[in-house]
Amino acid sequence: MNMSVDRTRDFGEYVPAPDDDIIICRCEEVTKGEIRRAVRDGMFNVHEVRRFLRCGMGLCQGQTCARLVRTLIARELGVPPGVLDEATGRAPARPTEMYVFANEKMEGI
Amino acid sequence: MTRYDLIVVGAGPAGLSAAAEAAAAGMRTAVFDENLKPGGQLFKQIHKFFGSKEHKAKIRGMNIGAELLGEAERLGVEVFLSSPVMGLYKDREVLVRQGDGVCRYKGDAVIVATGASENMLTFPGWTLPGVMGAGAAQTMMNVNRVRPGDRVLMLGSGNVGLVVGFQLLQAGCSLAAVVDAAPRVGGYGVHAAKLARTGVPFYLSHTIVRAEGTDRVTGVVIGEVDGKWNVISGTEKRFEADTICIAVGLSSSTQLLKMAGCEMRDDGAGRLPVCADDGETSIPRVYAAGDVSGIEEASSAMLEGRISGAAAAGALGFITGDALLSRKAELEAALESLREGMFAPKNRGKLPDKTDVGLPVSASLLSRGYLGDAEVFEYPGVKRASGLHPVMECTQNIPCDPCRDACPKGCIKVRGGIVSLPELDEAAGCVGCGLCVAACSGQSIFLVNENAGDGGAEVTIPYEFLPLPEKGERGVALSRSGAALCPAEITDVKLLPAYDKTALVTLRVPTALAMKARFWKREASV
Ligand SMILES: Cc1cc2nc3c(=O)[nH]c(=O)nc-3n(C[C@H](O)[C@H](O)[C@H](O)COP(=O)(O)OP(=O)(O)OC[C@H]3O[C@@H](n4cnc5c(N)ncnc54)[C@H](O)[C@@H]3O)c2cc1C
Ligand code: SF4
Ligand code: SF4
Repeated sequence: MNMSVDRTRDFGEYVPAPDDDIIICRCEEVTKGEIRRAVRDGMFNVHEVRRFLRCGMGLCQGQTCARLVRTLIARELGVPPGVLDEATGRAPARPTEMYVFANEKMEGI
Repeated sequence: MTRYDLIVVGAGPAGLSAAAEAAAAGMRTAVFDENLKPGGQLFKQIHKFFGSKEHKAKIRGMNIGAELLGEAERLGVEVFLSSPVMGLYKDREVLVRQGDGVCRYKGDAVIVATGASENMLTFPGWTLPGVMGAGAAQTMMNVNRVRPGDRVLMLGSGNVGLVVGFQLLQAGCSLAAVVDAAPRVGGYGVHAAKLARTGVPFYLSHTIVRAEGTDRVTGVVIGEVDGKWNVISGTEKRFEADTICIAVGLSSSTQLLKMAGCEMRDDGAGRLPVCADDGETSIPRVYAAGDVSGIEEASSAMLEGRISGAAAAGALGFITGDALLSRKAELEAALESLREGMFAPKNRGKLPDKTDVGLPVSASLLSRGYLGDAEVFEYPGVKRASGLHPVMECTQNIPCDPCRDACPKGCIKVRGGIVSLPELDEAAGCVGCGLCVAACSGQSIFLVNENAGDGGAEVTIPYEFLPLPEKGERGVALSRSGAALCPAEITDVKLLPAYDKTALVTLRVPTALAMKARFWKREASV
């Protein structure tokens, strides 16, 4: 399922909102205003916004904010959230120290 | 790389049931869970469960978890704890963190039963310490024995909000209010009534405007919302609170399924795996069971787990022919029966307005959390009768029926399936054993004797707070809405092993208040 948003549509200028300073992604401290502005700057899906602002790429890996970010982008674009892809699932599914990730044991314990 | 016939990810009710079912068929089975304790959500749940006897109703969640674990281990399932699964790859290869390294395992079948995580809501101040998910508060209280705060505001009136709200009271917190943006209580009426009768106010069509405080929550402002969810100015109300619990739904934890490349579909709120009836995803022999395939309940999670376990055993030839077909049919029928009633998945979002016997659903229950004093008599479980008799204030079609065979005398009848309402059979003589009161998971059965002598009446209520009142102790009787009715003396306190830790407290009230008094408070705290 890979629906996308019509990139030729004009979504208008970014208009500041009173609650733009609310933090949406706590781990990376990304605010609502930053995400809204990113959409107006042409980042039209979760992947692009994520790469641009790092929201959902912190310690909890989007456990808390993934849904919030997706809903917010959808609202800015005026589409139902279901139209937007969720972030790609990647290993490690849980935060892991690099030295652990690199220490591959041949036999299970 | 170690190989198993079946690898299960997640040791919640779905995962443990799947593993037990598969191991019983002879599969060499491993379960991986990230927690120190198995049981998933169950280990946090100290309340008695709904469902039917076969689905372990009236047993406390934590004890169901222990039973399932026992069953799985007896059958030879290897349960690995503190083992977060980090990846699920092609050919059912599973990457697991164990100790200071990662190990690879391979399953001929894989069942993903990773459950769900809590949704969050943003408002000014939501990142202040003191704002937390209701599930987090539940973990603090029931697993780590830490009280999350002193005065809590609960946002969300679904079952999670209501159940955790009650547990906060049990832990000794006070509850400032239950708030929900929807115009009606989302969870079961019996759960709401349990809170309302202790005096907790419900604010429906309200949401949080902001949390107050600089380095922690010190208060919270709520406001009424209009049809477009915007706060109507001038309707703001402020509460003292040091904790705000958010219970606004769960999202399925589908990361591993997405990583494996399972086909997903959108259900409006998020992506869910596309599954066959037996839980098989678009990838052969990779199954999804429990909350990860759509949010439901522990009882359905256990059945979904068993169905997937049986399907995996069937796919690999551990059970065949009629044995497989009849087992699957049996489990699927049980699952269907759970999915009936006004709160069934197919009825989600619809306004429950009538019960299956054609009675209207109480509007008061939906908007204030408690039944009106006059309307209770409309329901089949509530009747006035001479002498001692039970009163079942259970008025919605919920998948629950421990009351069906709780009464050894046959005073309580449930005519239809699991979602039908209990009725009083006046002809059967109640002997006051109290088993029905303790068996009711919704704490909605009371014993009433309007003629207890000297012009007084006695009301017996389920009571799950410590310290228990003592015989002879004086306090105040409260109404269904939690309003003080009259002074009331405790005439009996019973706690039998068969009650499974629900105490039965009997209070004496004037006869005129026998059908109104439904809770009791110590004088000091009134
Ligand atoms: C407050 C509350 C009250 C409830 N009350 C009731 C009730 O009265 N009756 C009822 O029927 N239901 C009730 N439920 C619902 C019920 O608890 C859930 O529906 C049920 O637990 C779902 O089971 P599950 O096995 O799918 O998931 P879970 O119980 O969530 O178990 C999933 C397990 O998988 C683990 N896991 C996840 N990802 C990984 C990974 N990558 N690696 C390793 N492990 C992982 C998790 O840590 C967890 O232990 C309640 C839920 C809550 C929150
Ligand atoms: S108190 Fe005992 S006898 Fe009376 S209705 Fe309840 S279970 Fe039956
Ligand atoms: S009266 Fe029966 S159906 Fe209703 S909550 Fe109690 S046990 Fe469940």
